[in-house]
Amino acid sequence: MPPPPPPTSAPQENGQAEQYKPNLRKVPQGDFMRPATRTRMSSHSKKTNGVGVQVEETRICVVMVGLPARGKSLIAQKVVRYLDWLSINAKCFNVGSYRRTATPQPAASFFDFSNTEGERLRKAAAEAAVNDMCQWFRSPGHLIAVLDATNSTKSRRRWIKERCDSEGIETLFVESKCDDEELIMANIKEVKTTSPDYVGQDPEEAAKDFRERIKMYERVYETLDEDEADMTYCKIIDVGSQVIINRIQDYLQSRVVYYLMNLHIKPRSIWISRHGESEYNLSGQIGGDADLSPRGAQYAKLLPGLVSKSAGDRPLTVWTSTLKRTAQTAHNLPYEKLSWKALDELDSGVCDGMTYAQIEAKYPQDFAARDEDKYNYRYLGGESYRDVVIRLEPIIMELERSENILIVTHQAVLRCIYAYFMGVSQEQSPWMEVPLHCLIKLTPHAYKTEEERMSADVPAVSTWREKGSKAEHAQTPGPSARASPMIGAMSK
Amino acid sequence: MDTLLTADLAANAPNFRRRTSTYVDAIHDLPEKESMAPAQLYSTESGRLFHSGRIVIATVGLPARGKTHTSVALARYLRWLGVKTRIFHLGDYRRAHVGQNGDVPEDYFFVNASTSSVLLRNKILKKCREDIFNFLNHENGQIAIYDAVNPLCTGRRALAKEFEKQGVHTLFVESVCTDERIIEENVRSVKISSPDYIGWEPEDAVKDYLKRINARIPHYETMEESELHYVKMMNAGQRVVANNCAFNYLSQRIVFYLLNLHIKSRQTYFVRAGTTRDEDSYKADASLSGEGQDYAHKMADTLLAHRESERQNLIKHGAPESTALKPLTIWTSTRRRTVETSEYLAGLGYRVRQRSQMSQLNPGVCEKMSERRIREQYPDEVAKHEQDPYHHRYPRAESYHDLAVRLEPIILELEREQNDLLIIAHESVLRVLYGYLMACSATAIPSLSFPRDEIIEIIPASYNNQAKRISIPGLPDRLVPGSPEDISIPVPPSEMGSRIGSGAVSPMSGLGTPVLHGSPGRGTQTPEGSGREGGQLPLRRQAPTSEPRG
Repeated sequence: MPPPPPPTSAPQENGQAEQYKPNLRKVPQGDFMRPATRTRMSSHSKKTNGVGVQVEETRICVVMVGLPARGKSLIAQKVVRYLDWLSINAKCFNVGSYRRTATPQPAASFFDFSNTEGERLRKAAAEAAVNDMCQWFRSPGHLIAVLDATNSTKSRRRWIKERCDSEGIETLFVESKCDDEELIMANIKEVKTTSPDYVGQDPEEAAKDFRERIKMYERVYETLDEDEADMTYCKIIDVGSQVIINRIQDYLQSRVVYYLMNLHIKPRSIWISRHGESEYNLSGQIGGDADLSPRGAQYAKLLPGLVSKSAGDRPLTVWTSTLKRTAQTAHNLPYEKLSWKALDELDSGVCDGMTYAQIEAKYPQDFAARDEDKYNYRYLGGESYRDVVIRLEPIIMELERSENILIVTHQAVLRCIYAYFMGVSQEQSPWMEVPLHCLIKLTPHAYKTEEERMSADVPAVSTWREKGSKAEHAQTPGPSARASPMIGAMSK
Repeated sequence: MDTLLTADLAANAPNFRRRTSTYVDAIHDLPEKESMAPAQLYSTESGRLFHSGRIVIATVGLPARGKTHTSVALARYLRWLGVKTRIFHLGDYRRAHVGQNGDVPEDYFFVNASTSSVLLRNKILKKCREDIFNFLNHENGQIAIYDAVNPLCTGRRALAKEFEKQGVHTLFVESVCTDERIIEENVRSVKISSPDYIGWEPEDAVKDYLKRINARIPHYETMEESELHYVKMMNAGQRVVANNCAFNYLSQRIVFYLLNLHIKSRQTYFVRAGTTRDEDSYKADASLSGEGQDYAHKMADTLLAHRESERQNLIKHGAPESTALKPLTIWTSTRRRTVETSEYLAGLGYRVRQRSQMSQLNPGVCEKMSERRIREQYPDEVAKHEQDPYHHRYPRAESYHDLAVRLEPIILELEREQNDLLIIAHESVLRVLYGYLMACSATAIPSLSFPRDEIIEIIPASYNNQAKRISIPGLPDRLVPGSPEDISIPVPPSEMGSRIGSGAVSPMSGLGTPVLHGSPGRGTQTPEGSGREGGQLPLRRQAPTSEPRG
């Protein structure tokens, strides 16, 4: 046994000084769901350190498989957004966009597998995408790539697997298999008429050409089967009516698969609102468990009308946090209510109950540090935005599974949920303006989430503080539902 | 010999749990009274989760395919989630009917059984199903796990139809093995410990057992019924087919859980973090003191020595020289003291992973307050807390229940992990994780005690888990039970103690007594076996004193 290493730091005399040190601690990227460590086969044993500890992080390539119009791109996009949101560095490689550089708007005959020139170009596009992907994986922290293409033949899939194996990248094949005509048609209509392949063409003609293209693929399509039992795959048949999961290797893969299983395509909306203005909002204090202000109570009174105007008579479930101000805000809503601890406001630790001005005076370094990297800044004894995202993960999973949900929660939590649906980056999301007394309706569609904001027309203070400013909570006189400056950029 | 030995196992197991104890796995006990479970999301009048209907989980599979393992693991998880769950082993009913030494007719499982066998079969099935319906309809049960072979398609369809009539979903969970080695391993580890095989060579016993099963249950149809809800697990989770499983919240949770379940056995060790310098504050997140560093070294050395002795023991019992234990992975929270406690092991090359979900219980307003001050300032809260220490939440604090909900993803990851696992965390986190693995009731969890001079080892087994203690020698007394970083939230005084273990034992009584490592063989020694008087695991927490702590 080697001798114990020297103590990392000598005990300090002054405990007080230690306590007030700036406490910016960056959590390593992707810490949350890194694949569980595993020891490799003996051929890799030189990489282990002799005590049986596995060395490297697992990198996974999620390979989409399926005919056109089976929702592959939608799945690919959602997975990337979900992983990104969880700080797992993920990227989608769409083979179609590589192919388009050579053939921007090919006719269906291009996809005829007896068309050797077409075949050659398509293979070249796949190779270019896979090359770029392998290149991308070489950077540290790049953990999951999604290869979005039809990958419809066994030989193509085997080629990808061998390519990834040689780079030490694991493969998870995700096949979407669907024979429901209605679903396919809906997909063709909604998605493909807006595809870059058909820009500027007559939608009817485009749909017809696209159906031709699908037929070309159908001729050579091979579903994942027993020959490929050695591969890790997840086969989703008819939008989840049957799911076959083969050789899942680690927790991260199971997490991705579970996420895929929770996705549904029934139309629905999610309404989110902050609690009404609280006494603490008025005094400019953060955190706490204060009651609503009179204006906040006014919002609570108006909320049922606002919701029913937007939701009609659709069945709804209301989720609140465990803090008084959300329960009071939801009090008048005539729906079933659930209160979740996970929806509680970001815990501001030692700063709880202080105003921004007080924080700046008492912890000037922390105040600056937080502005520098608000997403990762963890309040002394409290939480960071990253921590909040981690605790919200089960909520997101349940939201994906549910239909119409109204969430009444707090500014930081709302920012995180909003960031998930709208794909807002970690740099932006903690700075996003979410006004009080405003109901936001999010309706997920295949390629983007549609947003609508409804103001209750009850004045409230603004709790939004611009980066670098010391802004105390300002009075906004009128309706506070003006769109945040970055909304446009956020819809993917 | 019957196909399911679970009842015998239960009855004959030396450590069959006494209801009064928290150190034996309680998964086969039924809660005495209604109370919320460790991770229950919310309570309802019926005791059921309102967005999930009633479900019968029916197992499908030949003996020795891991059905019991799956049933028990599922029940453990579901109960922890607060779903009222009970396992009904059809084998128990069969045995109850024919008596302990009797046996069912040879053709009992045959498709073309004689009339008398069919009648007997139906009678036994009827009794079991009546009990299931009674549980679901009159005892507010939400999930009944029906542990039976269910080998035939027609029988499964009839079963689903019968339950459907009562508005109950049926989810079949099939265990299939095409890999002979897995089956043989299963038979070896679970089935041939029966008295029938005393004195047999293991190889012969396995062969004989499998032959008997094949003769007794000659007809078996794997699940292909697309209209039924089923999960098919092949070769211990190598492939999972989920058919029509998205019908509600619980069914999806069950599938996800099964995705992460594996049947390989793996040890879990629990230890406390070292002590910190001078600051017993939650918010301060202080570094380890010199003493804390010393603890970290001693703990790691003890653990490594223990693992080495386990390895030597395996070799002594015939394993090859090159035998290696499973690799050890370490999980800590992101709190400084747990991370620093792991640094020594990290320096030796062990893999350490931080989990922000594993942060200790947030004490809220009780931060840095002495117990006396809390009692003075929040007498109402203290009274509420004493009523229900598990669910009560001090202002701005987390309850144990909040902590359990927060730890749920960790539980799934725990199931998935294939390496041996050392968890370094605050006592509050250890309580909840231990509560899951050992199926402790919510009322017992807040008072479980993890003295710092012990490593707790959980040894998993198919029917129930076992806990074992490894003593860390040479620690100064003051480090052991008094936890300077512990939250001084008062726990109810001693009347609670009568329900748990050996009563209100002061943690001090466990001090310094060496654990008797009679034979360090895996799974042979339970805390009971060590014969220690007061120090049983886990101890009740120290009764509150009215004086503020150090």
